[in-house]
Amino acid sequence: MADVLGSFEQAVLLAIVRLDDGAYGRAILNEVAARLERDVAAGAVQATLERLERKGLVRSRLGTGTPIRDGRARRFYAVSAEGVHQLNETRTAHDLIWRGFARPLKARA
Amino acid sequence: MTMSNPPAIPQALLHLLLPIDSRETVSGDLLEEYREARLPALGRLRADFWYWRQVGGIWLRAYWWFAVPVVLLIVIHDIFNTFRAPSGSSYLDGLPHLALAPMSPLVAVGLFCLAGAYGSWRTQRWAGGFVAALGTFCIVWLFMAVWWNATLYPFAQVQQSNPYWIHAWQWSTHRAHPPSFFGFNPDTPDETFLRWIFWDNVGGLFFLGIAMLTMSMVCGGIGSILGLITSRWRSGESQKS
Repeated sequence: MADVLGSFEQAVLLAIVRLDDGAYGRAILNEVAARLERDVAAGAVQATLERLERKGLVRSRLGTGTPIRDGRARRFYAVSAEGVHQLNETRTAHDLIWRGFARPLKARA
Repeated sequence: MTMSNPPAIPQALLHLLLPIDSRETVSGDLLEEYREARLPALGRLRADFWYWRQVGGIWLRAYWWFAVPVVLLIVIHDIFNTFRAPSGSSYLDGLPHLALAPMSPLVAVGLFCLAGAYGSWRTQRWAGGFVAALGTFCIVWLFMAVWWNATLYPFAQVQQSNPYWIHAWQWSTHRAHPPSFFGFNPDTPDETFLRWIFWDNVGGLFFLGIAMLTMSMVCGGIGSILGLITSRWRSGESQKS
């Protein structure tokens, strides 16, 4: 089985999948924050994106800037085939671990 | 339309923290979020604070691992300085030199140098390395202030049962006093042990802070130059191949 992705890595990868063509830094940050229901640091998302790109799980391209960002370029991300494979592997691993347990898990008295 | 800008200092710091290939995109993302979402929702003061926090977070993620060993070094030295044998000798005294070497202050010198080198290599800017070394100093100094404040009372309790520390306190408070400085002289005969330790910590924070600031500027500067030379040489080599 391939390496299982961490929960933050999964959140970032799934945000890219959801955002499709609009997956750039700020949009990913807001999508991850909305899904995790907490404030997320831009540095955490950026560091994760850099790590995922080094692992070959995402690829990026530069887009054009807009006046609101003083013309600074946007970097758009897309999940690679290896990234999709890793997401599926991670989901399978989680399903296997949780198989046979009712949700929510009850604490023993 | 005039658009509001985040504070100038964190903007400049951000540019010195980011690697060359993400400098424009990441600063653009933060600027867009600041102008479109944070400023209208939070107001100027809290939006500025949010921006500062993001820049601090980026610094911490990149360089925290230089600050941790320096912090550990200070904690170890402080613990062994406080908990001494009744004769005053340190429990570290009997250890072999090889075991003591990682606890030498020279390690801190090396780490500041390394932070500078890594910072300038990563950002391909001399100032990037300088910011990395100075940031390491800031984190360590803030930690020292918190650590000495938090351990003041429990450590003083232990020290008061050690004849070495009692002797040191009595010597300090009962010796002939130098003329007071504008009426301020903390070493008075009626000074309590806790107050004496408190002023010792304040002095340590001040003087060690100055020493470390100088060290981080000098060593960070040297490291930055070395890191910049290495990164330029590497990019030159990769262009040739």
